Amino acid sequence: MQPDELSRRLAPLLGERLIGVEPYPDTAGRVRFRREGALDLFRALRDDLGFGQFSTVAGIDWVDHREVVYVLWSDAAKQYVLLSADLPADSPRIESASGIWPSANWHERETWEFLDITFDHHPDLRHLLMPDGYAFHPLLRSFKLHEPEELEVKSRHV
Amino acid sequence: MTTPSAQVAPAKPAPSADALGLGAELPMATAPAVPFVEIEALRAKEFIPAAKEALGALIAEQGQAKVIRPVFNWAGRNSLFPLHWGLACCAIEFAAAFGARWDAERFGVVPRSSPRQCDLLIVNGTVTWKVAHKLITLYEQMPEPKWVIAMGNCATGGGPFRTAYSVVPGVDKLVPVDVYIAGCPPRPEAMLDGILKLEELIRERKE
Repeated sequence: MQPDELSRRLAPLLGERLIGVEPYPDTAGRVRFRREGALDLFRALRDDLGFGQFSTVAGIDWVDHREVVYVLWSDAAKQYVLLSADLPADSPRIESASGIWPSANWHERETWEFLDITFDHHPDLRHLLMPDGYAFHPLLRSFKLHEPEELEVKSRHV
Repeated sequence: MTTPSAQVAPAKPAPSADALGLGAELPMATAPAVPFVEIEALRAKEFIPAAKEALGALIAEQGQAKVIRPVFNWAGRNSLFPLHWGLACCAIEFAAAFGARWDAERFGVVPRSSPRQCDLLIVNGTVTWKVAHKLITLYEQMPEPKWVIAMGNCATGGGPFRTAYSVVPGVDKLVPVDVYIAGCPPRPEAMLDGILKLEELIRERKE
């Protein structure tokens, strides 16, 4: 599957919520979309284009905005596809994919925990790798490495 | 070819406490009020009152601190049971120390799988904030008296992850530590040395 084919099949479904499909090495392409079209895009990719496996979701903190990146795998086409959406820094929210692919559950928990990207309608959005009540989102650019004593005071949750 | 007949070993006299090198530490072994040989021969229901009487006489004669405490310290430090709990790469050295080559069991150190059977917590690895409350739970489940060894740089002070967002900078922030072992990871000899240091601490235990 090529980027132009992806674009041809997704454009009627998403309309202006699809920004574009760029070529990306070793994948079917990189789909850039607006966050309002997330659920429609996910359903189309799973049901119509055969991307049945949710590999991972990651995030990037660009300081003025945040980007969320999904990686999907198609067993039939033996291909990955990347999806990315820009989120405003003051409300980094996007619809959860865990209703479409259940394996998205823990990946989204991790992304929320480290980058403070909220996934709406996630069934169980709580800490995964850090203890409950942890006060930081440590992969944000605004997070500074703390002196141990300072960190200890701020993490009085044990 | 004749079958060798079973031979009964000639009765040997029981080794005296002095021959075992315990005389100084075991005042009980020198001339108790009721000879222990006789106590051994008693029936079970007579044993406890007889033992109480013997011990009471000994305590009255020599004082409690001189009799009971050395016995408990001697028994305690020669049967340290650490918790079988591996956290990180130090656990590999911990495991090696109980293998054939270093054989920590010759010091009476036997890892146990339940904290309720343990009196020694060897924190062998990086403690994250996620696992911190589990460490405290395990420590609190251990019966008194109990000791803690911080094994390796991570448990001692966070090690290379001291400023990391997820690591406890030293396990002494969570539980009281008796002995620190340096190294990344410490060799099994260093771990055994730490255990021997702890045994010295227990030998001098007064309370």
